[in-house]
This record gives sequence, structure tokens and C-alpha cells, in this order.
Amino acid sequence: MTAHPAAIVVTSSTPLWYATRATGLVALVLLTISMALGLLSSVRYQRPGLPRFVTVGLHRNSALLAFAFTVLHIITTLADSYVPVRIQDAFIPFISAYRPLWLGLGAVSFDLMIALIGTSLLRARMSYRTWQAVHWAAYLCWPVAVVHGLGTGSDTRVRWVLLLTLACVSVIAALTGWRLAAGWPSRPVARLAGALAVVAALIAGGAWLAAGPLKPGWASRAGTPPALLKPAAGRALGPAAAARLTSPITQGRPPAPAGSGDPARHPHAAASGPAIAPRQGRAR
Amino acid sequence: MTVTGAPRAARDPGRPPRIPRLITGSAPVSLAEHLDRYGPPPLRADRPAAGRAVTGLIDEIDRAGLTGRGGAGFPAARKMRAVADAASRGGTFSSVGAVVIANGAESEPASWKDRLLLSRAPHLVLDGVALAAEAVGASRAYLCVHAGPVGPAAGPLRDAIASRDRAGLNRVPVQLAEIPGGYVTSQETALVGFLNGGPARPAFVPPRPAQRGAHRRPTLVQNVETFAHAALIARYGADWFRAAGTAAFPGTALMSVGGAVRRPGVYEAALGTTLASLLQRAGGPAEAPAAVLAGGYFGGWLPLPAAQHIPLSDEALRPAGASLGPGVLVLLPESSCGLAETARAVRYLASQSAGQCGPCSNGLPALAEAMEWIAYGRAGAADGLSWAQQLLRLVSGRGACHLPDGTASMAASALRVFGADLHRHLTRGPCQRVSRAGVLPVPRPPAGAS
Amino acid sequence: MSPRRRREPQRLQLNPIACEAHGVCIELLPELIAADPWGYPVIAPGPVPQQLLPLAQRAVNVCPTLALLLTRAG
Repeated sequence: MTAHPAAIVVTSSTPLWYATRATGLVALVLLTISMALGLLSSVRYQRPGLPRFVTVGLHRNSALLAFAFTVLHIITTLADSYVPVRIQDAFIPFISAYRPLWLGLGAVSFDLMIALIGTSLLRARMSYRTWQAVHWAAYLCWPVAVVHGLGTGSDTRVRWVLLLTLACVSVIAALTGWRLAAGWPSRPVARLAGALAVVAALIAGGAWLAAGPLKPGWASRAGTPPALLKPAAGRALGPAAAARLTSPITQGRPPAPAGSGDPARHPHAAASGPAIAPRQGRAR
Repeated sequence: MTVTGAPRAARDPGRPPRIPRLITGSAPVSLAEHLDRYGPPPLRADRPAAGRAVTGLIDEIDRAGLTGRGGAGFPAARKMRAVADAASRGGTFSSVGAVVIANGAESEPASWKDRLLLSRAPHLVLDGVALAAEAVGASRAYLCVHAGPVGPAAGPLRDAIASRDRAGLNRVPVQLAEIPGGYVTSQETALVGFLNGGPARPAFVPPRPAQRGAHRRPTLVQNVETFAHAALIARYGADWFRAAGTAAFPGTALMSVGGAVRRPGVYEAALGTTLASLLQRAGGPAEAPAAVLAGGYFGGWLPLPAAQHIPLSDEALRPAGASLGPGVLVLLPESSCGLAETARAVRYLASQSAGQCGPCSNGLPALAEAMEWIAYGRAGAADGLSWAQQLLRLVSGRGACHLPDGTASMAASALRVFGADLHRHLTRGPCQRVSRAGVLPVPRPPAGAS
Repeated sequence: MSPRRRREPQRLQLNPIACEAHGVCIELLPELIAADPWGYPVIAPGPVPQQLLPLAQRAVNVCPTLALLLTRAG
């Protein structure tokens, strides 16, 4: 049995940590659904089984649900004392001790969501133009949430999570392309600029994903506090505790032999490098 | 705070003007000549603070029964009272005052009375503006005209305003505003929108300009001719004004008479004058007349000689399917085809849509196409007619301004009045008269216009 | 809607400039709103019948451009 690197673990944090990942993924899916329905609404998509009022109504309801799950996601993160995240880190971007940039993007997305939903709930009390201007922030809120998930989440290299994220991106990219093709007939320059922006974002995002989260060592490059990565001196885990730490995703897989270079499957410090770090002399 | 009181008597109370009251010579009247003829405008000697209205004039205009001369015919006193009330209710901002807009942006192609009035008698108009500004508690005023060759010369108007400034006759600062061309730019909410820095396009009401208009203040928008009449009422009183015209529609109005008459021009006539007598003043028909378009492009056709004795006022014209509008009459000779003329006019009006409202920007081009089909299309099918009639019902009242309704009622009157021609067109095809040169003026839109 | 407002007669009014023919109101209130050939709403004149008022309010709330309005009739 290899010694897991992050030996400092409070075992009761594990259900909270799963809840954080779960609520995060569900929030992302709901946000994607809401965004997709918003795009369908703007191209006036209509079928006998999908009347306009359903598209519009579901768009609003899924946005509210996405917000609810985001709030849960934040609560479970705060309650999980393993990662050093405080409540202000959820609202003020880039000040957290844990992966400041990538977590901060989550705060950015959350702030934008508050603005989007807040203005929509108070639509009748403001001018339509003001509401519409703020609603454009949706085109920023969703991709930022995706990048937050890929950058902060420790499941990025898990196949089904990656596929789910890529599926969400594909749906939104396709619908955005449709909206650009169908709308703004009098502004071809703006549409072309939008299309180029989408293509550029996809390419940049893909390149970042390949060079970043999908490569080993991402946890430390992303800004995980070193204390959570290195094994605590002299504190080896017993097999029982180590077993509780194993991600259920990898259950059934034989543990990597020591020094093999396989990233240890620790829930909090995935992809952080070989199991026994000091022998490799890897710089952090 | 309101102050009541009768207007000051004119210098020559024994010589109130007879008809014509507004335009009396063939040359522009200078300020000196104007003061010599009419005396100074009876403004209050002490300047009341902006926002505190003077109601003496409004009461007198109410007794005189003056209605707007821009086409809608709305009672002038009611509008002024609404603005005065809104201005005095201003609360913290009551010192800010209302705004007066003199609408000289004459976008009706067959009308040129406002241009003539502004070039010949600008001081009557500006007197009316000053008196109205005082009466409603305004703090600034605009004189709106179309820019460029479409509108009156701006230079002489600026000079007229400046000469009044020097003589202290502008109760509030008056600014000349040049409005872009286009049929709907002179609508009152479009003017307000333009003066507020936006495009000259009609806006949804509420709020009406009388409540919140230019610079978010209560705004009085009246045609320039209405202000000219008000300037004379202030001097000579309501009874003098009512000496001409009918009981319900008193006073005189400037009428632009055009088309196939011998002497096209602007004639001032008492309301209620018969159509025949006005056409006689314009020299009579140049050729055998078939019909007359009364009220401009939002008015309606009247058959001739059947309607020649109809009095020219809304109370007689509206039941006959037409209106007085801004006093526009265009005579159609028998050698022209009324359906073709109407089709051209509808196509022009469709091109003038601001494009803001679906029923108008979709419905008017469809109506133009249907009218063109009826005027120039093949014989045999009545589908074009029934589609046109459906469109007339579909566009009326569904826009933010009256472009769709006015166009629809004018087209409807053509289908009614030219019924015999319609039958002939539908059964035997277009008549030869459709290729005759147009009688109704249809301007080509200037480059860059919407 | 406040109880007093519920008792006053209301009518449906459309801001034709704000309306972009999304058609949601036509789906939700076919009793009073029909579509013209270009998808824009044609509203039946007159006050809204009392029993349709909640549905009318729902149509007003769901309009994507807030073009549909309920105003005091008369």
C-alpha cells in the first residue's frame, strides 16, 4: 500500500467534499440547460411539443435551480474544513488561499449569477434596456463557470466528468453558433466578430485544458496550498484511513506501485505527482 | 401659483384684422413692421418665475375654441392647461419649468403653409410662443423646422429670433432646432425624442409630452400656425376669433391647395367655407375634376362634383370619410387614375415607417403591394382587394403613431370613392390613366434617410 | 395584485415598439390575444373579464420584453 501524500485529512470532510463536487457538477449542468434554453428562446425555437412559454419558463426555472445548487456548492465548500476557503472567497474573486485564480473564477461566475438573477427578478422595476445590458453577462458567466470547474475541480481527469463538461461546451457552442447565424441580420460585422470569439475561446480553452488540468502536477500549479499536497512528516496513514480516502471512482483499481509515476488517486490532491514526492526531488 | 387676468388690449383695438389674418403681404414682415401693425404682444410686465403659470391667456384661448392646426385638431387650451398643471405640480423641480415646442417641421408633402407662415410672419408665431411660454410656466422654447432644402430658410428665422432677443420680446430663450426629414419625424413624441438627443422616431405613450417630454419636463407641442392664431387671440380676444368659422370649429386656417387647380397656393379661409368656394379662389380646376384629397395623406378622397359644397371643417369632413388635417387639398383631374395615385402615396408612406412596430413595418409594405396590384395588376382575381381590405383592418391602431391608421383610412377612402374604377381594374385591368404623371407629390427620400 | 386592483376593470395594452413577436402571450391567453400574419399580437378590445385576470397577469409577467401591460380600463 503506498503512503498517500496528503496525510492531513479529517475523515468527516469526505462526504462534504463529495457534495461539493456533486453540487458543482449539477449546477454546471443546470446552468448549461438554462443557457441553452435562453439561446433557443432568442432564435424563437418552437415545436408543437415545445411552445414558447415552456422555453421561456424553463429557462427561468433552471436558472433559479442552478443558482440554488451553486449556493449549496458554496455552503459545502465552506463547511468542509479541509480546504481553506472562507465565505468572502465566494464573493470576492482571487483572494482565497486555495487555488486563488481558479476558485476566484467561481466567485466571478457566482457574482454574475447574482446580477443576472437579481435583475431578472426585479425586471418590472427597471428599464428594459438596463435589464438587457446586464443579461449580456450570461455570455461571460457560463464559460467562467466551466473554466472554474475544470481548474478547481479535482475530477477533471476523470473520464465521465470530462465528457460531461465537453458535452455542455458542445451544446452551448452549437447553439451560440445557431444564434449568431439566425440573429442580427443587420449587423454582419458583429456576428462575424461573435463567431470568431467563440472559435477563439474554444481553441484557447482546449489548449489550456490539454496543457493545464489534464497534465500531471496541475494541483500544485493551480495553487493548492503545499500543506495539502506534501505528506505531513512522520504521519503515515493506517490502511483503514487510507482506504476511506480512496475515491470510489477508482475503487477496484489496483493501487499504483511506489515510484511508478502514476498520480496518486487522492481525492484532495489528485494529479500531484508520484506517490513519494521527496525521493523525486520535484520542485513545488 | 396661477395668476388670472384679461390680456392687455392691443394698441389699435378698433382695427382687428379681417381675413386674411395671418399672412397679409407678399414679403416677409420685419419686427418693426410687425410691431407697427399689431403692437407688442400682451406679455405680463413682471416676469413670473418659471413653473408658475398665468392662466388668463389659456382661458381666452379656451373661449375662442382654438384647435390645433397641425392636423390632429386637438383643443389648444386643453393641451396648454395640461402642461401648466403638470409644470406647477413639479414639486422640488417646479422652478425648472416647462418646455414649449413650436412645430414647424412640415413633413406632409402636399402642405407648405407652415413654411410660408414662417417666412412671411415669423413674429406672429414667435409672439404666440412667448405668450404660451408665459401661460404654461415654461423656461425655454424650441422652433422646430426641417433641415436643408425641405424646410424654410434657417438664417432669416435665426435673425428674427435674435431681433426679438434684442427687443426683449422673447419671454424665454428660443432655439431653432433643425429636424431630419421624414414623414414621422414631426410627430410630437418624435420631436421630443430628437430634442432629448435620440433619433426622431415616435415613442410609446404614456407618458405624454404634456406630462414628461423634452428634458423630462412637461412639454407643450403645437403647430406654428396654432401659435400665430394664439398671438392674435391674445390681442383681439376670443369674440374676434369666433367672428369667422363655425361654432364648433371657429376661426380661420391656412389651406394648401394643389393639384390640378389653376393657381396652386396657400389660402387662408374661415373654417366651414365650402370646398367649391376655396377651389374657386385657387382659380378653379385646370381640367375636369374627378376627386379631391382632403386632409393630406392621413385624410381621405372626396368625389367631385358631388362633394363640392361640403364645408371645410372636421365636423363635416369626417362623416364623409375625409378630414381637414393640416388644411391640405389636392385636386385630382379626370385624366388621372385615383387608384394609381393612392398606390404611389401608400408606397411612399410605407417607406416612411420608422420600423419600430411590427404591424406597421410589415403591414404597410404589404398594403402598398396590394394597392399596386389593384392599380397596375392583371384583371380577373379579387384576391388583391380582399387582402387589401384585410390589411386595412390589421394595421389600424396597432402602431405607436398614426402612420398605419392614417394610411389605412386614406386607402380605404380611395377604394370607396373610386369604386367604379376599382370594378373596371378588377374586371378589365388597369386603365390607361395609370401612366399619367403623378398629381400627388411623393418626395424621393434623401440619401441616408431611414 | 392588490385586492382593490383586482376589482377594478383592467384592459390589456401593448407597447408596439417593445413588442418583438416572441408570441408567448398568444400561447398563454388565446381567449384575448390572437396572432396576425407576421406573429404580432392582436388584442381583443374592451376590459379583461374578471375570471381571465390572473391569466392575463401571467401573460404580462412572462413577456420577454415587457411589452404587454395591464392598465386601468376606461
